[in-house]
Amino acid sequence: MPIFHVFVVNRAGSLIYDWDMAPRAPELEKTLSFPIDFRLEAIDQRPTVVFGERDGVRVGHVVLAVNGRPVQTGRVSFEGSETDVDVLTYLQDERNFPVSLKFGRPSLTTNEKIILSSMFHSLYAIGAQLSPAAKSSGIRSLDTDQFRLQCFQSTTGTKFVLIADTQSASLDQVLRKIYELYADFALKNPFYSLDMPIRCELFDTALKSLIEKFERSGVVTV
Amino acid sequence: MQRSSKQVSILDKTLSRGKSEVNISTFALLFSEMIRYSQNRVNTVHELQTKLSELGHFVGSRLLDVIVFREKGYKRETKLLSMLMFVKGSVWRNLFGKEADKLERSNEDPCTYLLIEKDPLVNTFISVPKDKASLNCASFIAGIVQAVLEGSNFPCKVTAHWHNGTTYMIQFEESVIARERNLAESGR
Repeated sequence: MPIFHVFVVNRAGSLIYDWDMAPRAPELEKTLSFPIDFRLEAIDQRPTVVFGERDGVRVGHVVLAVNGRPVQTGRVSFEGSETDVDVLTYLQDERNFPVSLKFGRPSLTTNEKIILSSMFHSLYAIGAQLSPAAKSSGIRSLDTDQFRLQCFQSTTGTKFVLIADTQSASLDQVLRKIYELYADFALKNPFYSLDMPIRCELFDTALKSLIEKFERSGVVTV
Repeated sequence: MQRSSKQVSILDKTLSRGKSEVNISTFALLFSEMIRYSQNRVNTVHELQTKLSELGHFVGSRLLDVIVFREKGYKRETKLLSMLMFVKGSVWRNLFGKEADKLERSNEDPCTYLLIEKDPLVNTFISVPKDKASLNCASFIAGIVQAVLEGSNFPCKVTAHWHNGTTYMIQFEESVIARERNLAESGR
């Protein structure tokens, strides 16, 4: 029951901590000759496959590396050259082939994470207001066919959001434990100011070991 | 006014052991506020460590009498090594419930002794940010140790360092080492 993401959102709705599991989808490396079969387009500044699924490379996959060099915002720089080159124009030129491209699912950038957590914060508030009864909580869990999202809001308004596999049992215990770790290593740290991004090493290490323990044994000891 | 005659004044009560345990969360929050209070009044990391050390001094000078009375009755230590063992054992046990890890003498300097502790209790919840990497909040404990030693007539300077966990470097004054040497020679 792997946990994919952990987010901590402060009272105002901005993201103060996020943790990612290492990329779970396998990355494929393929050597191609001119012309390439996939149709690539720049979406969100990333060269994405939009047509021509083949051999495990699906629509939605992005080019992660060209000839071993990582791609950043659609550009790649090679050894010996200082300027970086746009990946799409690079792939239009026949002289650059044969080329080895690495495809994989795109991971969220930090900006996207911040935007999504603020959106979730608003949806949580809307969920609480839609309730027919008074004093209802907001969105506690969200199920889709690929993952399950669970959220716990503390009495002070800090939200702990967990994104995990569909089959995972109730993650309430894990969320409560993360709240405990937050109360210990963030709030008792004299160098942490409230509602600011959490930059405490002890919190990071404790959270990682909690998640590892959970994934190994499936239970969280108090 | 009538009520106070029924209440026993604190000086008449016996010096019992008292409650030996305090919630660590309570202490951690108090200590975290002490650090923030000191940080607002200093400009450098070194000054912050000195300020924490002074707070520890305040605690140590008051603890010394209580601990000596409880552990040793009416005797006090006069020899350096037994005093250091007293600090490592009794004082640490009274404060933290366990003994300090190691006590060593420095090879280069006969005046310097090192008290080593892997994980000081006060640092349990504190993650020091990168720009203050040299700060060790165990300077508070260094202040306690310094007050205990100075109060027992072993003038010294104690500082906390990041080495093997946390090391308290105790530098005694020349007079103390000379006195020890005289004692050892006259004893022979």
